Amino acid sequence: MTRHDRQPDTWNGQSYYDQPPLKNPHWDWKVSGYIAVAAVSGAAQALSWIGSLRDRAAFQGARRNASAIGLIGSVMGAALLIADLKTPQRFHNMLRILRPTSPMSFGTYIFGLFGTSSALASLGELPAVSRYRPLRWITRLAHGGAAISGAGVATYTAALMSATSNPYWSSAPRALGAQFATSAIASGAAALALLERFSGRTRTARQLEGVAALASAAHAGATLCAKQRHQEVGLDEALSDHPGRRLDAADLLVAGALPLAAYAVDRATGGRSPTAAVVGSAAVLAGGWLMRHGILNTGKETARRPAAAFRVASPCNLPRTDKRRSWIRN
Amino acid sequence: MSLDMRHEAESTANTRIEPGRSYGFFTDTTLCIGCKACEVACKEWNQLPAEDDKLTGMSYDNTRDLSATTWRHVAFVEQMDQGPDAVMPGLQSRWLMMSDVCKHCDPAPCLEACPTGAIFRTEFDTVVVQQDICNGCGYCVPACPFGVVDLDEVDGKAHKCTLCYDRLKGGMEPACSKACPTDSIQFGALDDLIQRAHDRVDALHEGGRTDAYLYGAPDTPGATGGIEKLNAFFLLVDRSEVYNLPLAPTRPASRTAPAFGTGLAAFAGLALAAVALLKGRS
Repeated sequence: MTRHDRQPDTWNGQSYYDQPPLKNPHWDWKVSGYIAVAAVSGAAQALSWIGSLRDRAAFQGARRNASAIGLIGSVMGAALLIADLKTPQRFHNMLRILRPTSPMSFGTYIFGLFGTSSALASLGELPAVSRYRPLRWITRLAHGGAAISGAGVATYTAALMSATSNPYWSSAPRALGAQFATSAIASGAAALALLERFSGRTRTARQLEGVAALASAAHAGATLCAKQRHQEVGLDEALSDHPGRRLDAADLLVAGALPLAAYAVDRATGGRSPTAAVVGSAAVLAGGWLMRHGILNTGKETARRPAAAFRVASPCNLPRTDKRRSWIRN
Repeated sequence: MSLDMRHEAESTANTRIEPGRSYGFFTDTTLCIGCKACEVACKEWNQLPAEDDKLTGMSYDNTRDLSATTWRHVAFVEQMDQGPDAVMPGLQSRWLMMSDVCKHCDPAPCLEACPTGAIFRTEFDTVVVQQDICNGCGYCVPACPFGVVDLDEVDGKAHKCTLCYDRLKGGMEPACSKACPTDSIQFGALDDLIQRAHDRVDALHEGGRTDAYLYGAPDTPGATGGIEKLNAFFLLVDRSEVYNLPLAPTRPASRTAPAFGTGLAAFAGLALAAVALLKGRS
């Protein structure tokens, strides 16, 4: 082991003729679209369940809307996922096994559970079903199931992207989990708030906007953590000539500052600026999708760049337990 | 066919191929002369179609990289500036040739990502994609830390080196290593190979090649971040990035729990806040 301990622990700029060190999946807007749709529908079901637990009558409208969002989201999500496969006629092979190391595998089951419970819960909105007590309780139980599996559907996608070798997706797993979760709650609340506004139910709309505002603030915090981590592992430097370097800032603006400002305007004017509130909710929804699509595409760019891939896969970025390997110079 | 063909590898690689034992490649890049016999043998045996014949302009490498239809790739690293401790005399660029291949990692990130079970670990401790099961989800592609596995546009399935699973079943060593004229690619039982590789490094160090080191053998660069070993490992004489290999790859599955756990915790926290905020009429 003479030369081994001379390996420096950071990348020194060398590559193989600047060839991409990693490969990219064929994933496009269908995948980022699925991630966004899953987030909105999962969180909408969870929030409508919470609202219904507190005041079943007041959130009746929101519950119906969430039920519709859950159903449409499940159907749309499944269609997007199957359309994205390169051999779609074998989509059912996803159910051959359950692999805990693969978010794509266990996520399929969470999504299936969410779709099934959403469908069952939506039956509760039919008078023919809700008239019978046992059936009513089954649909309410299913609503709870949709809420809990909704939490999974909204967040497992962060694990799906983190559990790869892609430099951008994988560099900040905890921050990405928090980003997806906070953006999901904000988007679910914003979607329901918009529909409440359009139906003239201002009181519940404002409560949901409160949730969206809090989640947007939390989202800004999570994005700052991600930004910090991207800087630490050297991705900022690797993307210095690419718009992806501004993704975190754009996310902070569209999904953080803009909705917070819009909601604040509505509150400051004592609720006399419903337009501002609507703008805020729309910004939350747009920001959530932009963030997910931006992360997908920026990640693909980093996989093509030796400067990004080799920086991230440097010994200095290894988990601490690994750094004691004899061949790394200290 | 005579019966002793069952164990052809005994005469070509001095190895008896038995299920339950780990097999792999030791690719000694100091012996590679860039003849590409491995590339050709692989294409021929596995009936892989040719790539688009474009000139890359990078040294003598028009293959460029591993792909769904190229499972061995000979990298041609041409170094004009050899620095003060140059091994070669003047008027001669330094050549580093290296035959790249799927590393058959242990644990294998592509296998751990595969949601259909199409990718599995064989009785020879190698990693293979079952073509009749893969549904082309593409998740193995970003999972691979080395940019090896890829989807084929024509058939919509993931493909990569099988370490000649069919040949191993028939007692034969893989096509690439059998065709290698300099024994740069050595096939064998992994414990034998790792020992042989360490001996080779020692011999090179004694002979003055002190820059030789193993990549992917247990406790060496390449076997990092939860990846215990690469069943196809290498002897390199320059930084791994020069050969398009990351110095410290990590196991993607180790990030599943942190990402999902933090996501669920953040979701639950905000849901609790929602319990307080969504008051209804009260």
